[in-house]
Amino acid sequence: MKEIVVQLFGAFSELNPQREIRVPVEGGQVVDLRRALRALLQQRFPQFRAGLVDYSAFADEQRVLRDNDSLPGDGRVAILPPVSGG
Amino acid sequence: MSFESVWKVVDRADAAIDPAEGIAAVSDPGFGGIDVFIGKVRDLNQGRPVLGITYDLFEPLVMNEFQRQIAEITASFGPRIKLYVAHAKGRLAVGDVAVVVAAGSPHRDEAFRACRQLIESVKHRSPIWKQEHYQDGDSEWSEGCSLCQPDTEHAHIDGHVHDHSH
Repeated sequence: MKEIVVQLFGAFSELNPQREIRVPVEGGQVVDLRRALRALLQQRFPQFRAGLVDYSAFADEQRVLRDNDSLPGDGRVAILPPVSGG
Repeated sequence: MSFESVWKVVDRADAAIDPAEGIAAVSDPGFGGIDVFIGKVRDLNQGRPVLGITYDLFEPLVMNEFQRQIAEITASFGPRIKLYVAHAKGRLAVGDVAVVVAAGSPHRDEAFRACRQLIESVKHRSPIWKQEHYQDGDSEWSEGCSLCQPDTEHAHIDGHVHDHSH
């Protein structure tokens, strides 16, 4: 079991004033984090729309990650809800 | 010969985005065409009066994305083009400038098309989120384009395809 620190942006940023959440993840791929984060949100924040995780991407500082990508070695990932810049 | 382009994030607490800077950045004695897009905070969203917007950014990735987008456009329009993008961060009031995109090239056609392509990329591919603050005291995060499938057409939250402006 690996612990991933997820940086929170957009609607997710309201979950925690520190703007991050620690997620225990079984498995080493982004898809494993997606599954674990969704379950954690449903458990800890039942009023939050956990389904937003399904529409959100994960990224490191360089690029957006795909579900079959490995989780970054430093254990830090950002969750990116649908974007709305401009 | 290729020209230097400029991309930046401007914290509203420090400064306002200046469209004149964008024009200067894409100017060149050999360029006869400059096109500029200025995005401002409007006072109404889906029929609700708006007081302002807060922009949240994943800044390191935004900067990398801006660089990638500029590289793609430069590759497709050739080296004789200069591009500029500045996006605001933090709390903005109605009328504040949220984004400026500018393109300069020898002729107007490339400038128009490159500017349009860059603002669409900025809106659809950059990790930036806006939270609308309404006159009634409510605030809501706006949900636009999902970045879930970076190798394919960017999916929109309501499923429509991106042959449009918003």
